[in-house]
Amino acid sequence: MIDWSVKRRGGCRWVWSSALVLCGGLSVGLVSPAAAIARSDSSTNVTAVNRSGNRDRAKWEAYILAAGGVLPASAGLTLAAHKTAAIPAFARKYNLPCSACHTTWPELNSFGQRFKDRGYQLGNDRDSPIWVNPSYIPIAIRTTPGWRMEQTTHQPVDVVPGDGASGTVERTITQSGFDISGADLLMLGTLYKNITFGFVPTIADGEGVGIETAFVRFDNLRRSGWANLKVGKFELDNMLSEKRSMMLSNNGTFYQSYHFVPVGDVTNFGMGDNQIGAEWMGHSDNSYTRFSVAVLSSVDGTPGLPSGKSYDGAFTVSQGFDVGNLGLQRVGLYGFMGRRPTVFETTGGTPIPGTGTGNKSFYRFGAVGDFFLGKLEFLPLVMRASDNKDLAGGTRDATWNSGLLELHYYVNPQLVFTQRSEIIRMSNQADPATPKTLGNIDAFTFGYRWYPIMFSRAGLALVGELSFTKTIGTVPLSGDGVGFAPLTSATAVRSTSLLLALDFAF
Amino acid sequence: MRTRLITSLPLLALAVSAMGALSAPVKTAGGVSGTITFTGTPPRMRPIDMSKEPSCASQHPTPVMTETVMAGAGNTVQNVVVYISAGDQAGAAAAQPVRYDQKGCQYVPHVLVMQVGQPLEIYNNDQTSHNIHPLATINPEWNKSQPPGTPPIKATYAKPEFITVKCNVHPWMHGYFAVLATSHYAISGNDGKFSLAGLAPGKYTITAWHEKFGTQSQEVTVSASGTVTANFVFKALPY
Amino acid sequence: MSRIPLLACAAEFGLLLSATGLLAAQAQTMSRIGNVTGNADAGKREYRRYCVGCHGPAGDGLGENAQWIDPKPRDFTAAVFKCRSTPTGSLPTDEDLFHSVSRGVVTTNMPSWEPLTRQARANVVAYIKTFSSRWATQGPGTPITIPAETPANIESILRGRDVFQKMECWKCHGPAGHGDGPAASTLTDSKDNPIRPYNFSTGSRFKCGETNADVYRIFMTGLDGTPMPSFADLMQPNDAWDLVHFLRTLQPLQTPEAAIWQTWLPAHAKELKPLGPDQGGR
Repeated sequence: MIDWSVKRRGGCRWVWSSALVLCGGLSVGLVSPAAAIARSDSSTNVTAVNRSGNRDRAKWEAYILAAGGVLPASAGLTLAAHKTAAIPAFARKYNLPCSACHTTWPELNSFGQRFKDRGYQLGNDRDSPIWVNPSYIPIAIRTTPGWRMEQTTHQPVDVVPGDGASGTVERTITQSGFDISGADLLMLGTLYKNITFGFVPTIADGEGVGIETAFVRFDNLRRSGWANLKVGKFELDNMLSEKRSMMLSNNGTFYQSYHFVPVGDVTNFGMGDNQIGAEWMGHSDNSYTRFSVAVLSSVDGTPGLPSGKSYDGAFTVSQGFDVGNLGLQRVGLYGFMGRRPTVFETTGGTPIPGTGTGNKSFYRFGAVGDFFLGKLEFLPLVMRASDNKDLAGGTRDATWNSGLLELHYYVNPQLVFTQRSEIIRMSNQADPATPKTLGNIDAFTFGYRWYPIMFSRAGLALVGELSFTKTIGTVPLSGDGVGFAPLTSATAVRSTSLLLALDFAF
Repeated sequence: MRTRLITSLPLLALAVSAMGALSAPVKTAGGVSGTITFTGTPPRMRPIDMSKEPSCASQHPTPVMTETVMAGAGNTVQNVVVYISAGDQAGAAAAQPVRYDQKGCQYVPHVLVMQVGQPLEIYNNDQTSHNIHPLATINPEWNKSQPPGTPPIKATYAKPEFITVKCNVHPWMHGYFAVLATSHYAISGNDGKFSLAGLAPGKYTITAWHEKFGTQSQEVTVSASGTVTANFVFKALPY
Repeated sequence: MSRIPLLACAAEFGLLLSATGLLAAQAQTMSRIGNVTGNADAGKREYRRYCVGCHGPAGDGLGENAQWIDPKPRDFTAAVFKCRSTPTGSLPTDEDLFHSVSRGVVTTNMPSWEPLTRQARANVVAYIKTFSSRWATQGPGTPITIPAETPANIESILRGRDVFQKMECWKCHGPAGHGDGPAASTLTDSKDNPIRPYNFSTGSRFKCGETNADVYRIFMTGLDGTPMPSFADLMQPNDAWDLVHFLRTLQPLQTPEAAIWQTWLPAHAKELKPLGPDQGGR
């Protein structure tokens, strides 16, 4: 099956899917701007138009791919957009309306944040499963059918369709139609007082089943909110949670900052992806003060032991301030320090999974805020990022900066207007010869979510969203399809996503 | 001693209506009287099991029956509060306290009529603790414990209301406070009869309230002399 | 007396009336928590977001989830509240309501709303007070005074044990505080819903707090709307503190009272008469 949607990083169709497993080693990103045409991995159904570029580099990329079998080599793959949050099973268990825990679901409010921090416990002695109605099953499902339109400019196509030798010309490609997302089965709850579990299988047409989340968490160790240990696969404690993104369109569903890697970079990492490891998390009684420290396998959430013996580390810390009429204001810092192997043991020339060495490092640091002005919420985020030259494929480390500002205007708990503006700017390309602007992104999204009914058993939202991106010399990060880089590295590719959908959780 | 006298309901009713009559201006001798009956089958009263409270059970050689509908011969109804709900309600609250007793784990009287602002004294004559929990909704709802041998609980109610009284420890104990704005009221005896005296000439609305049967009202015109008859017939719903 | 002064007098009286009415109305739509002033209009938004599922849009405790909840959500139109610092039958203070909202009510579905800002909680309190006209016509009661705690020693605990017997706490709460007294199974709240007495052996917290002063306040003010009566007319403060000290020994907690009790008990267990209907006590 050819899933020929324009836009890079695909394979996951319109699943909000991390689905690294599913997507296999997808598009390896753009090898070099000179190649001008994107290639993607053969393990998916996407046609690679051209495959040229640095041979050596391609070779060890192939090693990595082969070694992991599933190890994605580019951020494209890591576009993990399963939107796991908003779990009406909890509403059913505790008899609370969606709006008790969510500003508008899926985003958490301060009450929902504490509920989560406590291990999905309210702390009113009704948490232990013995209190639960025997007919209660801790399962919720979220899926989003709808209509969407995707348009991408400067796509290189054959002058004569079907004739690869007829030359290449740039066109704008537009696709539209009704579509369905995959479904997430959200199973989270308490096994016993202070023992929390989470298990989220995802189902997507043609992609089978994946495991988005699977963890056990020991809460309130020694009766302290400061000691909670979580082991398994889970989302990092990002203040700006991508899993709880209010935006769902192909272009808008991602925080570009969380997934961006420079053109030609092989680092497989996304801040928004669920990671595998262990996390120590602590919070004050009201969860105004929060921190987390995590040790993670250097695999960006891919099960198995595909990579090396190294580990990644992540931390988050944030503090909320009660500012009277304005509401709760929160500021936070975060950081991720990762390593990726560049050399594998081989047998008969074939890399052996899990034997990666020659680890090279990358980091993401930044600050994030969550400010309320009454009904208006501001969510700024800034990031400084760097990838080692061996990962970035050049002679010096690649560095870049990014920033975003997301706005939510809550007309009432059942209607929210959203807007996000995001920019990414390269400061150092790994290869000094590469134009400095290559890979830069500008992204803007406008949307609304209307919850015509809101009760304590299920939730439905009507979603309308329009998202624009402009990427220099490459194709936009996107939840699906595979796009192609423009013919020249200075060309700005503009992409538009329009989404009208029903988002429901039940 | 007055409190000794008022040991039976008809006596109490007479006493309070006499008090009412006294407090009204004695210009005329108009009045309203009547009989309260019901049609249909009344709910059957059931024996109360007080075995959980031996100190009370021992006071009742034969089991006490519930007092929800106390019917007399000819389908007359006892414990109906009849009062003037519109028209001249005649003034200030009586200053004499009304007395409410807990005796043998029963409320005596079963229905206690008082005026707004009239002092209420609640006595525990038993060898066990009671808690007095009048379930007021218009007036404040309070709940006080009263172990044996403790002084009476004193209270007043500021607004007219029919208030269910219960003791949470002894769930069979049910009684009522009828807090009225008027000084003209009566409570029907076992013969279903009531009488309101000392009314100035004029139009009145007379209301009869029963804990099970609800309320009924009718308008009467009282002349300068003589007594108007106003009978009430409640309908007992089949259960 | 001429007509005019009478009229003036009446006008003045009318003015006074409307002024008090205005004040009452204002008191009804505001709340005062320390230096925070809650506003009912803003509180309505918070209420609709957080509270409406159980307490209902009309504040009558008949939200969509009420049928699934036991004990039932509070009916604000009745303006009867369990947790008060004020005597039984009186309205609670704004702080009392604020503390209930912030603390939550253990053994019920009411969670702690502490993560909400103080302003948001104060607003909710102001809005809750609009559901009953009682707030306009009556002020809150005067909080009871809680004198300084008496020393917790074995004598105090034993005296408290006598109080427990004499006040017949065991009738509902059971001789060992397990919530299994002879009357326990028959208890109903003011809406005739079954309700269980507190079982001291299950937890550390009470519905209205967890400190010794909270325990003192609970039985001195009563939990209005429930079978738990007020003992304010019956107990002197030192009796009340004695009872608090005894009640602490019934809980599975490492409290000073429990330590004293456990040290004393093994050697003196035989001296104790059983609690309960057998005329126990020391």
